[in-house]
Amino acid sequence: MATNPYDVLGVSSSASAADIQKAYRKLAKKLHPDLNPGDKKAEEKFKEVAGAYDLLGDAEKRKRFDNGEIDGSGAEQPQHHYYRDFAGADDGHPYSSGAGFADFMDGEDPFAELLKRSQRARANRRGADLHYRFAIDFVDSITGGNKRISLPDGGTLDVKIPPGLVDGQVLRLKGKGAPGTGKGGPGDALIDVEVLPDRRFTRDGDNISLEFPISLCEAVLGGRVRVPTPTGEVTMSVPKGSNTGTTLRLRGKGAPRHGGGSGDELVKLKIVLPNSPDPELEAFVSGWGKGKEFNPREGGAS
Amino acid sequence: MIMNRQEFLIASGVRVQTLESWLEQEWLIPERTVAGMTFTEGDVARARFIQDLAAGMGVNDEGIDVVLHLVDQLHGMRRVLARLHDEVSGDAT
Repeated sequence: MATNPYDVLGVSSSASAADIQKAYRKLAKKLHPDLNPGDKKAEEKFKEVAGAYDLLGDAEKRKRFDNGEIDGSGAEQPQHHYYRDFAGADDGHPYSSGAGFADFMDGEDPFAELLKRSQRARANRRGADLHYRFAIDFVDSITGGNKRISLPDGGTLDVKIPPGLVDGQVLRLKGKGAPGTGKGGPGDALIDVEVLPDRRFTRDGDNISLEFPISLCEAVLGGRVRVPTPTGEVTMSVPKGSNTGTTLRLRGKGAPRHGGGSGDELVKLKIVLPNSPDPELEAFVSGWGKGKEFNPREGGAS
Repeated sequence: MIMNRQEFLIASGVRVQTLESWLEQEWLIPERTVAGMTFTEGDVARARFIQDLAAGMGVNDEGIDVVLHLVDQLHGMRRVLARLHDEVSGDAT
């Protein structure tokens, strides 16, 4: 990397200070990135020249270089932005001038139309909306909360999930889309949120339903049970004589409503017998006369 | 990044009197708000370019005036060229 600075400037090692300055100025006028806005390599070339001149244009540094105390690599210039990096970026820029091509826009020919149209279109255009998709758990869709999503470009986006969000709802983050041009503001980020199904809960409007297993004893005798809700477990009493299909309502434990309040959680009971046959239960049922008379397929309970 | 006059002077290394003269010649056109002038990073880069022309290349004030005028036209053209490029490649809406 340590190219000889004398070679870079194209001068001999015995050149006078005036010769060195002259050589540098000649190269700088040709290579300065702001005088070559379309040449991507100009920056690299100019950096080398500027580095060489930084060393040789200073009598003290030049002496130390000639004595071998420092080498050419110490002369590297820090990275900085040139004007050209900004001049093209913003259409509302006060410096930009159309004087170099205005005559081409005067006519009625297709090229003039194209020029005029593209100038109008881009002058103060709002940035594009950017679309994203992501999925959240059912419980999070009910309780709401903050999520950080990773973007394809490596950035992140903080998203506030409103409580009671429904599957497929689109959240709009103002100003988080693509930047605009000129006075046009940035676009929005539109986030399509998918709610992942839950193995316990299903949602119906503002209400959520849950199939809840109870034992035969709890069904016949009633009792207090712990029932899951999206916001945690609650205690619920199962009334005496409950049946499979009996639906109990937990008020306000459903999804939050848009205008305030919440839906309910509907707990649908399901009687579950013990897995292994129980001799005591069999003996009881064999001797249970009324139980044998009851036919659930004939009207009555269903 | 938007900066005020003081911050601009520090960031660019331009002296107060020099800035006055540049503003007068409209080499720099900061935005003027009720709170005073505001400068952008683009203005700092432009100031550095002017310094390169003056100190680095020995261009005098008259020459800088001409160079800036031509460079501003060049960027105007480049911008139109970029738009046309977008139009032709179907990127514009």
